This record gives sequence, C-alpha cells and structure tokens, in this order.
Amino acid sequence: MSEKPTIEEYLQNIQDGQFKAYKCVDCGMVIAPPSGSCYGCGSSNMEWTEVSGKGKLVSFTVIHIAPDEFVEETPYYIAIVELAEGTRVSARLLGYDPLKPEEVKLGSDVKMEFETIESGKKYLAFRPT
Amino acid sequence: MPLNNTNIVSAAQTKFGALNGVSLREIFSEAVDKATIEAGVPKKDIQAAFIGTFIPEMLVHQGHTAPLLLDFAGLKGIPATRHEAACASGATALRAAIMAIESGMYDTVLVAGAEKMTSSTTNKVTEALAAAADDQFESSIGLTFPGVFGIAAVAHMQKYGTTEEDMARVAVKAHKNASTNPLAQFQKEITLEKAMTPRYIAWPLKLFDCSPISDGGAALVLTSNEKAKQYTDLPVKITGTGQASASMNLCDRDDLTSFSASVDASRQAYKMAGLEAKDMDFAVVHDCFTIAEIIASEDIGFFKHGEGARAVHDGITALDGDKPINPMGGLKGVGHPVGATGVKQAVVLYRELIGDAGPNQVSNHDTAVMHNFGGTGATCVVNVMRRADV
Repeated sequence: MSEKPTIEEYLQNIQDGQFKAYKCVDCGMVIAPPSGSCYGCGSSNMEWTEVSGKGKLVSFTVIHIAPDEFVEETPYYIAIVELAEGTRVSARLLGYDPLKPEEVKLGSDVKMEFETIESGKKYLAFRPT
Repeated sequence: MPLNNTNIVSAAQTKFGALNGVSLREIFSEAVDKATIEAGVPKKDIQAAFIGTFIPEMLVHQGHTAPLLLDFAGLKGIPATRHEAACASGATALRAAIMAIESGMYDTVLVAGAEKMTSSTTNKVTEALAAAADDQFESSIGLTFPGVFGIAAVAHMQKYGTTEEDMARVAVKAHKNASTNPLAQFQKEITLEKAMTPRYIAWPLKLFDCSPISDGGAALVLTSNEKAKQYTDLPVKITGTGQASASMNLCDRDDLTSFSASVDASRQAYKMAGLEAKDMDFAVVHDCFTIAEIIASEDIGFFKHGEGARAVHDGITALDGDKPINPMGGLKGVGHPVGATGVKQAVVLYRELIGDAGPNQVSNHDTAVMHNFGGTGATCVVNVMRRADV
C-alpha cells in the first residue's frame, strides 16, 4: 500500500501544476478535496489516484469584492465542478468574460488546468472544452 | 416529547449598526442590562451564562470573551462559556442554555451575543468572515462569503427559475419591515429599482442582496417554569430545538439549492415540539443574503422547494401576509453583528409572540420558528417557540 496521502501534498501538487485525488482503498471512491474518511464506506484508508481532468460545471459565482490577498485578481470566477470520477471540487473558471456571467451555461463540459497568477501562485482551474 | 421547562422571561437587543465609539464589552453590557435589571431580573439571580461571539480575535483582537464580557457586565464569578459556530454562534449558545435548564442543573441563565465589526475595514471583515468557510480548500482560492451564496443563487436560478428581481424583492421587504424598527441599522424603505442597482459583490448578488457589516448585542434570560412566575405573567416557552451540521465545503454537497443542515435541524425541532411547519404563524430566518431567505423558507418547510421566490412575490411572507418572515427586518434590514444574530432572532420571536412588536406586530402570534445558520450552512439551529398561554 502506498504512503498515506496528506493535505499538504495535495495542495503542493497543485502548486507543482499537477492534480491527484484521494481514493478509498476499501471501496474505490474517488475523493477531492481530501477527506479523512470515505463518504462511501467510512474507511480512513486512502491512496492517491490520477483523474481524467474532465468535468461538468455545477455552479459558479463571480467575485467582485475580495479580501486584500485577492483584490488585484477581481473580478474572477469561482466554480464548482463535478469530475468525471464523481467527486466535486471548487476551482477557478477560465475562458469566460467575468463581466458576462449570464453567458455561462451550467452543465457545460470543462477540462482541468492551472491558473498561475503574477506571484507565481497556482490555482486549480477549469476551462470549457 | 416537547420541552416543557424552558421559558424566555426577558429579551432585548441594542441598536444595531455602526456604533461608533462603543467597544464590544460596552455593547454586550448594554444588552445584558436591558434584559436583566431593566426587565426586572436582578443580576444576582443569574446562575450561568452562555455567550455567542464569532471572531473577535480577528475583528477586535480579543479572545476568551465570555469571562471578559461577563465581568464588564457585572456578572463576574458565574460559569461563562463562549459558543462559536460562525453566524450560528448565538443560537448554539441558546441551545446550550436550553439544555442547562432542561437538565435541571440551573433555574435561571443568561444567553447573550455580541460582535463589534465596523471598526475594521470591509476587506478585513471579508477576510474574517471567510474564516467561516473552509480555508484550505475554498477560501484560499478566493471564494468569499458572498461568493458561497452567489454559487447557491446560481444553482437555484438554474433549477427553479429564480431571478435577480425575486431576490431584490426580499431586500425591499426587509427594508420595509426595518423602516419601523427603531433598533434597525436601516430605517429607510428602498424601491425595487434601487435594490436592483448593479453593484455586484459576488454575481448574481449585489450590494442590496447582502446583509450589512454591523455592531450590536442581544440578550435573553431563560428560566425554569417555577422561576418564570417571579419575572413575568407571560413567558415564551421553547418547545422544540434542533441542530445539524453539514460539510463546510460547498463542493462536497450534492444539492446546492437547499441546505441539508437547515432541513435536518427544522425536522428535529418540529418533531420535538410535536408540530409541523404549517402550525407556525411566522418565522425568523437567517437572511444573511436575500437568496438565503428564499432557500431557508423552503428548507424549514414553509414552502415547497422552488416556491420560495413566488411566495415573496405574492406577499405571503410580508408583515401582513399569511406567513410573515423576518417581520422586524431580518439580518438584511436590522443588521448582522454575527455573534449577536442568533440571540437577536430569539428576541424577535419573544417580542412578536407576546404581542410587543409595535408597528411590526404580526397578527397571528401563538407559535413561531427561528432558523439560525452558520457560515456556509455547516451548522444550523432551529427552535420552535410558543406563548405560554397558548
């Protein structure tokens, strides 16, 4: 069995431009963001798994007023995306005009990528396919 | 079995708003004085205190607030515990007090909440509020608190056809009710057009969809049946209480158009009270954002899922409607000093139920429900209350 995954590694992976989800060793459920116990069977046996990066847009918002840390990035999209593997993640949404959110269609197919801001920080992100 | 020993015998709030020059402990102490000595309850009768404050550590650089606040309010010495559940801090304090009375451990207790928010900048407050969401997985990518409800609004709009105008109507109603409430932060009616001003905070939520940043405090005295008579002929009985939790992360929820903790907590509270949503004459719900009132009105069973917006449009939830919601102006109109809010909601129920709500009095006021909701909806407390003579 592989080493127990940690949140620190999960977040570091995103900063390194890669994404790995947790997978329940006992029932196979794919989980991201990390959880200490499986939503399916309650097990706390987790391992890393790769995902396809394909997903569907579940919902979103456009942030106009943000804490200091994010002020220079406004307006920006935050979306909830359901991955093909069944788990949902929160991420940035790219490829749409933040001033025309009415053009965004829920249920759209999106593909995982990473957004790198000026400071070099990376966000998990999705873009319509 | 309905609870049968918990009575609210006095209840009060301070003015909500930007209380310039007044610090957290002074706000707290004013609320306590109004609910004790000014209401005929000697402070020496209080045996324990249950305190709601959300995040004074970030807002006013003060932790360990319960003994600090109690000392300033002249109640030093008694057991005092602070309860924190984001915006549901006040109602979790109330619930602990209910359990303390029902257990027989105490006969007379204080429940109080307060928050001082306006001395911080808006960005600082936004950052503090964001601490009520999941920092590692959601706040850290730039999801704000209004953003959480923006996401819920988009999902509700998509599934049920709810519109920005529907949400604006909630704001118009809140301001209308608050306009006759002298303790409210906003005492001015607004037009639908004004409520629709496109100053976006987190699309589709605009400035007038959001409750304001506020200072304020609220307090209640709870007693057993035996002690209640000493203070009032007309107490309000808390007959059912419920509390539930849900994932902090929005992304871990199957349904973004309803909050499972609200549904679960209200079912528990109605079941304990032996009543149903249809038995409630009115409700006070957690309208931190206009969409939150629409969803809450559905989650507590006042309307079917997807019909909350229609009910606002048709005036059913207006002060003079069949099912008034937030008759004194809600968080949106009265203000939202976070730690005080859950306690203030109970103050509103008390005043409405005993017929002491002045121009904001609802016509049927035997039985009502309060819904206090924390953070992203990860905690919800619901209480059912009845006037003692019903």
